[in-house]
Amino acid sequence: MTAAALTRTGTELRRAVTEARHAWNGEAWLAAGGVALAALVPFMSLPGVRLDALADTVYLAVAATALGLTVGAAGLPSLGAGAFMAIGAFTAALLVARSGWPVEPAALCGTAAALTAALICGIVVRLRPVFVAVSTWLLAWLVWIFLLAFPSVSGGSQGLILPQRTLLGLVPTPTVHYEIALALLVLTATGIAAVRRGAPGLELSALRQAPPLATSLGVPLARRRLGAFALSAALAGLAGALSVQLAAVADPAGYDPFLSFKLLVAVLLGGAASTLGPAVGVAVLGAIGLASGPLARLLQLPLERFDTAVAAVLLVFVLALGGGGIVPWFRRVFRRPSRKTKQVTVCYSSDPEVPRGPALQAQGLRKAFGGVVAVDGVSLELNSGEVTALIGPNGSGKTTALRLISGAIPPDAGHVVAAGRDLTAAATADRVRSGIARTLQTTSAFPELTAIENVLVGRSVRRRHGGMLRTAVATPHARTETAEAQGASLEALALVGLEHHAHTPAPELTSSQRRLLALAAALATEPRVLLVDELAAGAAPDELEHLAEIAGRIRERGIALLLVEHNLRVVRLAADRVIVLAAGKSIAEGSVEEVRESDAVRRAYLGAQRL
Amino acid sequence: MTVALQVLVSGLAAGGVYGLFAAGHSLIYRLTGIVNFAFGDLVGLGIFSTLLVLAGTSPVTQSGAHEPRFLGALLVGLVVCVAAGIGTYFGLVQPYVSRGSTIGWVAGTAAVAFAIRAVIGATFQRSSYVFPDPLPFHRVGSAGFVDLGGAHVQARAFFVIGLALALALGSAWLLERSRFGRALRAVADDVEGARVVGVPVDLLVGIAFGLVGALAMIAAIAAAPGAAVNANTGTLLGLKGLVAALAVRFGPPLSAFGAGLLLGVVEAAIANVHLGGWQLGPEYREVLPIAFVLLLIAFWPSRDALEEQE
Repeated sequence: MTAAALTRTGTELRRAVTEARHAWNGEAWLAAGGVALAALVPFMSLPGVRLDALADTVYLAVAATALGLTVGAAGLPSLGAGAFMAIGAFTAALLVARSGWPVEPAALCGTAAALTAALICGIVVRLRPVFVAVSTWLLAWLVWIFLLAFPSVSGGSQGLILPQRTLLGLVPTPTVHYEIALALLVLTATGIAAVRRGAPGLELSALRQAPPLATSLGVPLARRRLGAFALSAALAGLAGALSVQLAAVADPAGYDPFLSFKLLVAVLLGGAASTLGPAVGVAVLGAIGLASGPLARLLQLPLERFDTAVAAVLLVFVLALGGGGIVPWFRRVFRRPSRKTKQVTVCYSSDPEVPRGPALQAQGLRKAFGGVVAVDGVSLELNSGEVTALIGPNGSGKTTALRLISGAIPPDAGHVVAAGRDLTAAATADRVRSGIARTLQTTSAFPELTAIENVLVGRSVRRRHGGMLRTAVATPHARTETAEAQGASLEALALVGLEHHAHTPAPELTSSQRRLLALAAALATEPRVLLVDELAAGAAPDELEHLAEIAGRIRERGIALLLVEHNLRVVRLAADRVIVLAAGKSIAEGSVEEVRESDAVRRAYLGAQRL
Repeated sequence: MTVALQVLVSGLAAGGVYGLFAAGHSLIYRLTGIVNFAFGDLVGLGIFSTLLVLAGTSPVTQSGAHEPRFLGALLVGLVVCVAAGIGTYFGLVQPYVSRGSTIGWVAGTAAVAFAIRAVIGATFQRSSYVFPDPLPFHRVGSAGFVDLGGAHVQARAFFVIGLALALALGSAWLLERSRFGRALRAVADDVEGARVVGVPVDLLVGIAFGLVGALAMIAAIAAAPGAAVNANTGTLLGLKGLVAALAVRFGPPLSAFGAGLLLGVVEAAIANVHLGGWQLGPEYREVLPIAFVLLLIAFWPSRDALEEQE
């Protein structure tokens, strides 16, 4: 038992080492060298270097790197990172100074306090990003005003004086703090880099680029965003709790909302798109701060005001230059564009058991918008391995019916039942997990991702070990799953004939290819029922047969396919069964021939007059 | 009873100013879908420009102002405030809104806010300043205070309440009746529609950005001699306006104004009202409303216009 576990651990470790060796490149050498050099700084006795100030800057870099996850990966404009540092700092300081706690549990409590504040304040992530900015801005001011108004908590203008306590069993000299801060920075950066490269990063990026499309593929919007936001805040709280021990005093004046702004400037200055950017931004701000001291004295300006103005002006410059930041800019300049064209090998999974029979039943669906009844008592049944087409004149309620079935809008009446469950009230993500996928009529791809990454977003709903923490420490399960997801996504691409475009950025595909890409992403969620809105919209006549062929392949996999279609040629080529809607009611159902002969259908399309 | 009256009058006076900031925040949100984080500081810039023209950066006594000079200084302050507002819109808001970059305008307006704070703080280096008073309120009653049913209230408070109400109702009337107001409402209802029928959207919104600052600034200056001012004055007023506007979910400007009035009274009540020997006290005055609104927006019901939608 133990021996088996040890062998397995050994194998996994060897695998991890091999993977790391493959991923190792010049940039990794540079980073490793930089860290080694930085770790030696305290022992080099450099003239003019104040180690405590340096350690404090590294703690700030930890908070900034963490903020990079919220701002860069999740696209949430947080103006409150400093508030989380303050919450961590004062919680820890109070526990150490007033209750006599040791430093380590106090720092953990500080982290937990920041995390709790983030979980409450962060509920707004489900709203538009504006409200994240509003909420964090209010929090930054609330914390500062609170500290000023309650000197009993914050120690007033002198701050809370902290007794010297050992840190991890060591006397807390600036050197010890510096090395701890550096280790924390390395851990934070590598963890966040892994998250951003992995499945959660992909989902966050999808949510940032096109929230409705990501949601339709089953990405849990609120959970993912809140996860990133809370992780950032917890790390900021930890950095705050430790830095306050270094300073030996918790001074409210240091937690002005400007601290939050400074962290945001560091992130944008260094480059929100890269994991290292924020730390570089902190370094640059620190250097400017040092250099501006003499200038401020010369102009007889208070230094802190001068720093504020410099940070604000820098930020405006970065924004005006396109907002990329330093690190991404360096990468563009110094790295040769080498798009690795990986060999694409599609390995089909062994034939899954093809299900048969009814896959979804909708009963008596009804939806009115104001006085207009768009869908009026529609019932339909979709069968596994059958292509059903939903057709009808403009305004007959086809798309509304589709949105009701997929759960994008709630019905006024009626039920949707699939896999033995009533899904009428289920959220979109829940339905996707239950096997009901849908493509959107308008947005079809995430513009900043390649084709296969687009499909991987759809695949993420089937991951069980792809959470933020598991990805950060790269557990064996998470890594095995990543390999599986790659294979399944390639298979989905191959199904729609895009396997040779796997590494093409989505915007470089033609519009009909993007439509197929959306289909592949929906297929990657492993649906039992696939709802497709206007597959043939804008398709050239010679593409129609190809589309019909793809519909056939989907049918062969035992998926119940519902096509909402205007193009009657595709319907004739692909559909096994046709349902005709007119004025929100189902007026005919049957094979293409049967429907074509129906008088009701003719009247609906051509009006009452005889031709 | 006397305490209640005192709370009501001083609360309404503070709230009138908050209300105009709230109405401004609300109007801007409805027009553009953004929140101007520099709003309070832009107004602060106008207030301190006025102070600079009136008295330089030296500490001022109440009697330092004469009417013509005051009007000139007020005009300079208004021009600075409006111009800075319009500049912020065209320089740091409109380019990013049109590109769909939330982070761009959030960071941009925050940068303006902190830059203005730094400039004011560097120019006016004392911790607080007394704003000169052109109106002879100190001659009313006993040194500017009047007795009202036993309550001791600042005479200025009535002037501030009246002015704020007049400004709010007047601008609401303009928004309802004037061509400019109708065009703004069209933009708020449907930007693309307004653009299609030939409304010069960016120009109008830019002007509105400046004008809401001017309105708030007039009210803030009317109230300013009543208390010391410093670099935080504008920022905090903007913050409280935002709190009030959020309390009514960026509703119509007039209801945001109402929320501002209420916020003023609530703050005064928190600071002064004893309930059976139990009192919150002045230190809770600013903290509680902000905390309340933070929780309020966190628990706003979803599935409405504020949510990410297709």
